[in-house]
Amino acid sequence: MFFRMIRGAFTRQRGKMLMIALTIALGASLATAMLNVMFDVGDKVAQELKTYGANITVVPKAASVLDNLYEVEGGDAAEGAYLREDELGKIKTIFWAFNIVDYAPFIDTDASLADGREVNVVGTWFNHYMALPTGETLNTGVQNLRTWWDITEGRWLDESQPDDANACMVGASVAAAAGIRAGDSIRLQGPRAGTTLTVVGVYDSGDSADDQIYAPLAQVQKLSNTAGCVSSIEVSALTTPDNELALRAAKDPKSLSASQYETWYCTAYVSSICFQIQEVITDAVASPVRQVADSEGAIMEKTQLLMILITILALVGSGLGISNLVTASVMERSNEIGLMKAIGANDRAITGLVLTEIVIVGIVGAVIGYFAGFGFAQIIGHSVFGSAIEMKAMVIPIVAVLVVVVTLVGSIPAVRTLLRLDPTVVLHGR
Amino acid sequence: MTKRKMFFRMITASLVRRRSRMLVALLAIAVGATILSGLVTIYYDVPRQMGAEFRNYGANMILLPEGSGAFDNAEVDAALSKIPAASVVGVAPYRYESVTINEQPIVAAGTHMDGARAASPYWYIDGEWPAASGELLLGKEIAEKLSTKLGAELNVRYALTEEDEDHSDLFVKENSRKMIVAGILETGGSEEEYIYMAMEDLEALTESAGELDVAELSVSGSQAELQGYADSINASLDGVTARLVKRVTQSESTVLTKLQALVLLVTVIVLALTMICVATTMTAVVTERRREIGLRKALGASDASIIWEFMGEGLLLGLVGGLLGACLGFAFAQAVSVNVFSNSIAFRPLLLPITIIVSILVTGLACILPVRSATDIDPALVLKGE
Amino acid sequence: MSLLELKDVSKIYGDLHALDKINLKVDTGEWVAIMGPSGSGKSTMMNIIGCMDKPTSGEVLLDGVDISRESAKSLTRIRRDKIGLIFQQFHLVNYLTAVENVMMAQYYHSVPDEKEALRALARVGLADRAKHLPSQLSGGEQQRVCIARALINYPELLLADEPTGNLDEANENVVLDIFSQLHKEGTTLVVVTHDPEVAEVAQRTVTLGHGKIISDKLNEGFKE
Repeated sequence: MFFRMIRGAFTRQRGKMLMIALTIALGASLATAMLNVMFDVGDKVAQELKTYGANITVVPKAASVLDNLYEVEGGDAAEGAYLREDELGKIKTIFWAFNIVDYAPFIDTDASLADGREVNVVGTWFNHYMALPTGETLNTGVQNLRTWWDITEGRWLDESQPDDANACMVGASVAAAAGIRAGDSIRLQGPRAGTTLTVVGVYDSGDSADDQIYAPLAQVQKLSNTAGCVSSIEVSALTTPDNELALRAAKDPKSLSASQYETWYCTAYVSSICFQIQEVITDAVASPVRQVADSEGAIMEKTQLLMILITILALVGSGLGISNLVTASVMERSNEIGLMKAIGANDRAITGLVLTEIVIVGIVGAVIGYFAGFGFAQIIGHSVFGSAIEMKAMVIPIVAVLVVVVTLVGSIPAVRTLLRLDPTVVLHGR
Repeated sequence: MTKRKMFFRMITASLVRRRSRMLVALLAIAVGATILSGLVTIYYDVPRQMGAEFRNYGANMILLPEGSGAFDNAEVDAALSKIPAASVVGVAPYRYESVTINEQPIVAAGTHMDGARAASPYWYIDGEWPAASGELLLGKEIAEKLSTKLGAELNVRYALTEEDEDHSDLFVKENSRKMIVAGILETGGSEEEYIYMAMEDLEALTESAGELDVAELSVSGSQAELQGYADSINASLDGVTARLVKRVTQSESTVLTKLQALVLLVTVIVLALTMICVATTMTAVVTERRREIGLRKALGASDASIIWEFMGEGLLLGLVGGLLGACLGFAFAQAVSVNVFSNSIAFRPLLLPITIIVSILVTGLACILPVRSATDIDPALVLKGE
Repeated sequence: MSLLELKDVSKIYGDLHALDKINLKVDTGEWVAIMGPSGSGKSTMMNIIGCMDKPTSGEVLLDGVDISRESAKSLTRIRRDKIGLIFQQFHLVNYLTAVENVMMAQYYHSVPDEKEALRALARVGLADRAKHLPSQLSGGEQQRVCIARALINYPELLLADEPTGNLDEANENVVLDIFSQLHKEGTTLVVVTHDPEVAEVAQRTVTLGHGKIISDKLNEGFKE
C-alpha cells in the first residue's frame, strides 16, 4: 500500500513532482558544473599561462663561469661546456613528463651577413617532431614558447616541411636594417663555416630577439662546429604553486625527511621538476624562471580561490533554492497530511511517505542534473579554454550529499510543522 | 476607500499575514538577486583585480633613449606624466656601467631599489634588499663566480676614462669603494649576471650623474591602453622612446581575456539556472493559491484584475528581494575581493536598479504563468471541495 | 415575472446526464431549497445557476437574460452584479480579516467601502469580530462572514451551496435565522442542500433525482 500511495502521488501529481525534480535538477546541475570547473580551473589556467613561455631554463653546469671568465664566444665544442643534444628526449621521461608541455634547445653564435653586418644567430627547434621512448610523439619548439611573436611577413618555420631545413626567421630590427624580406636568400658566415638560408618569415618580438636570426639547430651547429651540442634548454611545464615545503626543497632537497622528500618529488612543484630534469641531463643546472614561475603560481592561486568562492555561492544558492521549493511543496500538502492523520496514520508513517517521495524525486532530479551540469561544464571548457573539462569522480558524492541534505533540510521541518497541526483544523477552515 | 487603496491593502495583507510563505518566496528572490549582483560585480572587477596580479610579471613598458646615448630623470618624469598616476605600479630606472671586482669585469646596474622592487615583484632575494648606501645586490651567477657569501665586503672598482681625439678611451683614474653584499638575487634570467646598487652609489663611483640607459615601467591597463600611453610618449617627447614588452602585454591580454570569458560564462550559467530556480519557487508559491484564485473569480473578479493583484504581490516581492539581494551581492563581491585579491571593490550604483528590475521581471514572469493558468480554470472546480 | 427560469436544461458529461431537461422557475423574493441525494445533479444545477458552468442544451434566463449563451467574461460580470455565493467550505481568503473579505467582494463589484462592510457584518452579528482573521473565527462565524460577503453588493439572487454542511446545530440555526430574516426583507434565496431540516424551513422545496425534478412543492409549515 505504501508503494501504491507513492506511485499514486507520482502519477497523479505529475506536474508538481516534475517541477520539484526540475528544480533539484537545476540545482544539482549548477553544483556539478561549478564543482567540475572549479576542480579543473587550475590546470586550465596553468595551460593558458603557458603563453608566457618557458618557466624553467636548463644550462650546463659551468657554462656561465667559462663564458664570462675568458669571454669565449663561439669557441670549439671542446672548450665550452654544452648540453648534449642526444639527451633532449630524456626530458620527456621524467616523473612529471606529462606536465612538460613544450621545450626547445638553444645554441647561438655570431655570424656575419653578406654586407659584413654582425648578427647573433640562434639555433633551435621551431615545430620539431619527436618520437618519444614511451612510444608517444610530440611536436614542440619555439612556435609554442614564443606565443607573443608577431609574424609580420611570411610564416613560421616548420621543420616538417622538406625545404625548411635550410630556412631561417629574421628579427624585425635585423630585417629592417639589412633590408631582408621574406623569400630572400641570405648568406651567413659563422666562425667555422658558412651557409645560405632562405628567409621564410620576419617576426616582431618586442624584445632583444628582434636583433637576432633564428635558424634550425643543425644549421647553427654547423656555423660554430658544435654538432650535437646545445647551450641551453627552455622548458615550459605545468606546475603547482610553490608552498613552504617546495621552497625548502628548492634550497636543499637533502634537508627534507624521507616522507617530505617523497611528497615533494611526487608533486609538480617547479623545484621538483627542475630537480628531475637535472637527474636526466648530464651536467645540467635547471632553474625556474622566476618571472614566469612565480607569477603563474600567484595567478593560479587567485583564480582557484575566486572559483571556489563563486562555487560556494552557487552551491548555497542552489541549496536554498531546492530546500525552499521542497518546503513550499510539503506545506502545500497540509490537507493530505491532516487527512492521513485523521484516518489514523502515525507520525512516522506520514514522515516516511513524504520523505520517500521527496527523496525519489531528489534522486531523479540529481541524476538528470548531474549530467546536465556536466554538459554545462563542457560548454564552459570548450568556449573558454577550447578543451574539455575533466570529469572528476569526487563531484558525484559531493553533489549527492548536497542534494540529500538539502532536500531533507527543506522537507523535515515542514513535515514536523504539519504533524503538529490538529487534523480537524487542517481539514476544516484554512 | 478607493479601489487602489484596497488593492494595496490586499497585497500587503497577503505579504504580511502569510509571512512564512512569503519569506520562502522572498528568500528565493533575494538569493537570486544576490547571485546576480554579486557575480556581475565580480565580473566587472575581475580584469582590474586580476590585472593587478598580472603586474607580478614585471615591467610591461620600457623607456629607451632616442637613438644612442642616455636620457635623464627629467625625461622619465615627463614620460610618466603621460600615464595616469594611479595606473603606474612601479618605475625602475637603470644605468649600466662596467666595473671590476676581484679583477673580473662585471656589469653593475644603478637603480632605485624601491622602484625595482615594485616593477619586478618576482625578484627573489636571498638576504635583504639594500637599504643603506654602500650595500649591493649580487646576481646569483656573479655570487657563484666570485664565491661570495651574504654580508661579504667587496671592493668595487671603476676606471674613469675620457675620449681622446681618436675616439679611443683614455684612462684617467680609478675610483674604488668597499661595499657590503646585502642580498643575492635569483630570477632564473639574465638579471643574475649583474650586480645592483643604489643609483647614488653608482653616480658617486662614476662621478657623473643623471644619465639613464633604460627605465622599466610596470603599468596596469589593457594592451590597448598601454599602446596609447606609449604612442603619446613617443609623439610628444624627443629624448625617449617607449616600447611595450610584448611578451608581457600580449600574454596578459590573452590570459585575461580567457579569465574574463570564464567568469562571464560562469556568471551567465549560474544566473540562468538561479533565475529558473527562483521562477519555479515562485510558481510553486502561486500554484498553491489556485483555490483563492477560484474564489476571487467566483466573486466576480475579472481575469485581468486577478493577474494584476498577483503581479502586484510578485512585483513588491521582487522589489524587496532585489534590494536585499543587491546589498547582499555587494557584500559577497566585497568578501571575495578581500579574500582573493586583498583589495576592496568599487560599488556600482547602476547595478542596484538593474538587480531590482531583473528581480521584478523574473518574479513577474514566474507569477504570470501559474496565475494565467489558474484563471483559465473553472471556478466551480476549484471551489468544489478539495 | 420570474427572476430565474430554466428551460429544458441538460448537462451531459460523456454519457452521464447530470441534468436531464430541467424546467424550473424561481420568482423574485422566493426562498427555494433544492434537495436531493449525492449525484442527483444538485451541484451541477447550482454551478449553472451561479454562472460558473454552462448547460449542454437548454436556456437559463436570469433576470430575462439567457446566460447559457454568454461568454465566460460576461458570465463573470453577471455573477458579480446579480449573484451572491455562499459555499459549504466558506472559502474565505485566510490572510484577510473578516471585514477585508467582505470588502474584497465590494472591490470586484464597484468600490470598497469599509463602513458598509462593517454594517454588513453587524447584520450577521459579527460587528465585534470584524478585525479577526478567518483562522480566529469559528465555523459558524466564518459562514456568517461568507453570508455578509454574499450580501454586500445587494445581489438579486443569493445562491447557497450546502451552507450548513460544515456547521453544528447551533450555528446551523443561526444561519437559517439569517436566511429567514433575508427572506423577509425580500431577498431571493436558492439553497442547495441534502439536509431535510434545512429544506423544510424554506418556502418551497425542489427535489432532484438522477438529473430530473422528482417533486416541487410548497412547504406547508412555512411561516411568512
